[in-house]
Amino acid sequence: MQQYPVALFCIVVAAWIAGCEPNESPTSDDGRVTIGVTLLTEQHQFYQQLRNGMETTAAEHDYKLIITSAEGDSARQSNQVDEFIVQKVDALIVCPCDSKSVGAAIRAANIAKIPVFTADIANLSSVGEVTSHIASDNKAGGREAARMLGKAIGHKGSVAILSHPQVASVSDRVKGFREQIKLFRDVEVVAELSADGKRDKAMRVTEDLLQSHPDLTGIFAINDDTALGALAAVEAANRKAKVRIVGYDATPEARKRIDAGDIYGDVIQHPQRIGELTIQTIHDFLNGQTPPSVIPVEVGTYTGKDG
Amino acid sequence: MTRQHVHPVVRFLVAARMPIILVVLVMAASLSSENFRTQANLINVVRQVSFEAIIAFGMTLVIVTGGIDLSVGSMVALTGVVAALVMRAMPDASPVLAIGVGFACGIAVGAGVGATSGMVIATFAIPPFIVTLAGMLMARGFAFIICGGIAVHELPEQVLSVGAGFVGGVIPVPVLVMLLVYAAVATVLSRTVFGRSVVAIGSNEEAAALAGIRVGRTKAMVYLLTGGLAGLAGVMHTGKLMSGDPNVGEMWELNVIAAVVVGGTSLFGGRGTVTGTLVGALIIGVLNNSLNLMGVQQFWQNVVLGAVILLASLADAGLRRLER
Repeated sequence: MQQYPVALFCIVVAAWIAGCEPNESPTSDDGRVTIGVTLLTEQHQFYQQLRNGMETTAAEHDYKLIITSAEGDSARQSNQVDEFIVQKVDALIVCPCDSKSVGAAIRAANIAKIPVFTADIANLSSVGEVTSHIASDNKAGGREAARMLGKAIGHKGSVAILSHPQVASVSDRVKGFREQIKLFRDVEVVAELSADGKRDKAMRVTEDLLQSHPDLTGIFAINDDTALGALAAVEAANRKAKVRIVGYDATPEARKRIDAGDIYGDVIQHPQRIGELTIQTIHDFLNGQTPPSVIPVEVGTYTGKDG
Repeated sequence: MTRQHVHPVVRFLVAARMPIILVVLVMAASLSSENFRTQANLINVVRQVSFEAIIAFGMTLVIVTGGIDLSVGSMVALTGVVAALVMRAMPDASPVLAIGVGFACGIAVGAGVGATSGMVIATFAIPPFIVTLAGMLMARGFAFIICGGIAVHELPEQVLSVGAGFVGGVIPVPVLVMLLVYAAVATVLSRTVFGRSVVAIGSNEEAAALAGIRVGRTKAMVYLLTGGLAGLAGVMHTGKLMSGDPNVGEMWELNVIAAVVVGGTSLFGGRGTVTGTLVGALIIGVLNNSLNLMGVQQFWQNVVLGAVILLASLADAGLRRLER
């Protein structure tokens, strides 16, 4: 019984090969510019807004967008890039799942002479050429955080940074924060510890901080999970009145705590704007301009409903 | 329903139902997307399928014995990271040597983990579901631990010629490897004593033991083989990404099992073919690829894939009832 499937299988493959267009693809349909997008995920609000931004600007220019999502899997992302190469898209937008693992896929697009743009997360691999990288200005975000925290503590006292040094964008936030906080003479950074961007670890680290620095007045947390973890520890130690916290991203949960006055404020990113600028950059590139290799997107602040 | 009452054409249609579905799917995809029926895409689809298909051939043997291996996806990550770490630790060696040693280590780790699961299953009679679930968690954990959670890169650029390279300029290396593994496993299953023991154990374990088959050893062997094949897929994937990424292979175990089931292998054991698995993997691959080419959202792709798996098993159940 087994030889039937085998025979038929051979026929399928033969028919498929024979039926193939001999000289590759007839390229894109109606002459519209086609842009392939592979997102890190579609499950986070950040990427949903980024996607909206892309769609808005693409509609303005009458570009065709093909949006796929790798849901955090570099292997799937690499396959999606291969598919865009087969489709001969005019440009490729990658939001890398992993900044080190994305290089080989970008290199494949380079070989196929498709220009590659990264949004939000950069290519840090040793291979692969990216035309332009569009992302939040994290250094400016760090400076904003320092201004907020400075204001919150009356520009004097001891502050700590809860960081996550493995992530490049976070390093930039911390750099910007340190640059700005230095300008306040009476503020001293007494500690920088890693909480891995996670809530439980942030809580433990903050408990230790509160023990070792009884005079602590402020904490800069590099994301909201860290900020909420730090807040839990500060509340448990009954020092909410003395220790002010500034976070990053203003997730809905963090927003509530900011509105309630538990967290002083947050730096906010504009994913929608990142999406819009990415398409705009491709538009400029396709019209003969040379875009800068890095395009920073401005950040804002959120300090509660009352402003 | 006995054999002589069935018209040969019907018998052919029943036997070849999965390849027929594949043909219909390919034709439908060709009509709906002109990008689909290009040679470049044909090569692309088969290359995408090849990594999971390599594992699925091993999984076929596991499922034929009545077992299951949930750890293969995590194993892809673990072995890929191991291979990358070994390659990176040999910066002064020639790239070919580094790649060879790195790949060998990755495959050996896969086979070792598989053999361990297999021995635990055989010795303590714990359900394979639980043992390999534990293996899945531990392998994923170790994949992150040994690289500190950060993908291992800075590998010799030559690894790309394994994962993303071509033989004779046309056939992707992973596809060639897949075909070799296919031929080997198909031969083992249908033409060796070991292969017949695998089927016998799946049909009736007690009878197999009474007939003198070394059940424990045979079971351990199929998990070892599957682990080794997961390792092979893992190291080749590291070659394709030029990086050992602890995040890859998420959900692969389910895709692999789906390919085996769609290919007509019974989850109750005792029945299954490696050719069926190849067809099953291609069906899922063609489906994924054409949905991507049509720009269907990932969430909907999951729905479609789930429906196909369900329909395939329903068809299988219905046909089995007819055969009785």
